[in-house]
Amino acid sequence: MTTLPKNNSSPRQWFRGSLLPYVMIAPPLLLMGLLIFVPALQSIIRTLLVDVNGESGFSLSRYTAFFSDSISVSNLLFTFQIVLLTLFTIFLVCFPLSLYLRFAKGRVAGLVQVLVLFPLFVPGIILCYALIRFLGTRGTLESVLNIVGVTGYRTPYLKPEAIVIGLVWESIPFTVLVLTAGLGQISDSLIESAQDVGAGNWTIFRKIILPLIIRPLLIVFSLNFLGIFGSYTVPYLLGPAAPQMMGVYMQQTFGQYRRPDEAETQAVITFIICSMVGLLYVRTVAKQRIQQEDAT
Amino acid sequence: MTTINPPIPGTFWDRSRHSFVVMMRRDGFGLIALVFLILVILGPLYSVVLWAFAEKWKYPSLVPTQFGLSYWHETFSRADIASALPFSIILALTVTGLSALICIPASYAFARMRFRGRQLLLLSFLATNAFPRFGLYVSIAVIFFRLNLIGTVPGVILIQLVNTLLLMIWIPTAAFQGVDRSLEEAALDVGASPIRVFIQITLPMVMPALSAAVLLTFVNTFYEAQGALIVGLPRVVTMPVLMYSLINSQLVVQYGAIVSFVLWLPSLLLLLMAQRLLRGGYLTAGFGV
Repeated sequence: MTTLPKNNSSPRQWFRGSLLPYVMIAPPLLLMGLLIFVPALQSIIRTLLVDVNGESGFSLSRYTAFFSDSISVSNLLFTFQIVLLTLFTIFLVCFPLSLYLRFAKGRVAGLVQVLVLFPLFVPGIILCYALIRFLGTRGTLESVLNIVGVTGYRTPYLKPEAIVIGLVWESIPFTVLVLTAGLGQISDSLIESAQDVGAGNWTIFRKIILPLIIRPLLIVFSLNFLGIFGSYTVPYLLGPAAPQMMGVYMQQTFGQYRRPDEAETQAVITFIICSMVGLLYVRTVAKQRIQQEDAT
Repeated sequence: MTTINPPIPGTFWDRSRHSFVVMMRRDGFGLIALVFLILVILGPLYSVVLWAFAEKWKYPSLVPTQFGLSYWHETFSRADIASALPFSIILALTVTGLSALICIPASYAFARMRFRGRQLLLLSFLATNAFPRFGLYVSIAVIFFRLNLIGTVPGVILIQLVNTLLLMIWIPTAAFQGVDRSLEEAALDVGASPIRVFIQITLPMVMPALSAAVLLTFVNTFYEAQGALIVGLPRVVTMPVLMYSLINSQLVVQYGAIVSFVLWLPSLLLLLMAQRLLRGGYLTAGFGV
């Protein structure tokens, strides 16, 4: 346990005992404060203030401007649609794979695991290029279909579907890793004893597996939600020119049109929408972390 | 009801469960998953790798109509690529070095010292993940805009540095916490100086975790494109940022393919270490899990 510095200890001991740790953690903390909390807070405050005759006052005008602009609103709605569709697809693809990897053994399972992890080692920008060459008009997929005699292929490239495909592709490894790790904490003996007392597969899933993996599910949901909402590369390179996802829209407003004020408003709107999910993520990981610390 | 061969007693549900079990035993699901994953995961990469070595590739051939390396010379004699590649490597090394310099001492403090607010401050680094990333970048860029940091190397270093914090603090903290204290105490008892104990006992034990953190940080930073795009342009152009224009302008398919292939090499290094990274739990640590 800690011995708090006594009054009679020398300044040197006091420094080593209570000041030194703070000196050591200060640089990364300061960096994070200055580059995350300060910009975020400042953006929130600035977007609520408007200059009127040289005096700044509280106003929601920037937000009413955003919500009365049809392009802004359609981009925001489009982002929501992509987030929901992508999350649903991620779950559909990753949950069966995770269950399989938890319970299966053997060579096929080993290969499946390698392939599932593979996207982790493919940077987003290369993935986009690869998907264009694969899914695009006259790409590899169309060639394969052509050879087996399927014609009339219509490429998803530059359509919303391509964004979903790219985002799902990117999130497979992380999602499966977290879910499989969660499922790994459920012991075989627990499931066997439930089977012994006559529980069916559905009951076992609902009563034993599901409650134990709520936390991994929440982590997967929240991080994927934030990741998709804050994505740029995939929607920019694979998606349609309009409507745009918020990331693409913000970059265009800031970089191309040089309207930092409007871009800032758009950014704060994404903060507000994502704040609940961000809190959920921090809370879930924090709880898990504290439990682990207590256990050791 | 007609009998099914072989006859299995029980209801319809029992029988379907039985056949499901048989299928699982033969690993039918695994095989379907494997074929699906090979097509979906390896298919796109197949296209890029072959395009990098293609002289000509006419639709609908499954392989390039003519292989060759002539585009490699052409790609690397482009002025923008020739200057962006070394710059990107130096930038990623700088960011990784700075990150290690500020984060590893901090993680030692988090793991081994007791101080008020330790747990809360350690958890506060989760904030780096809790924002929609691109929104945060815009927010940072607006401040940099006023500070005249847009289009400067320090601006890009700062925005990339933020991305590395969680990983560079959480992995080493876990490693320092995992060190067996009795070994250090034994060494201190026989009269070794604290510095010597740290270098000869503690450091070798945390080295695998530290090198994993450094490698993951380097690769992540090397590929970081979004922060570099919004803060770096128009004057600072990294390799991944250059990829955006190579993809969008679609000049010559091979340019993009060759650059992708070359950019991908550092990642292959990670892939070779995948087993070790996975066992150490490092792959998910960057997500704060």
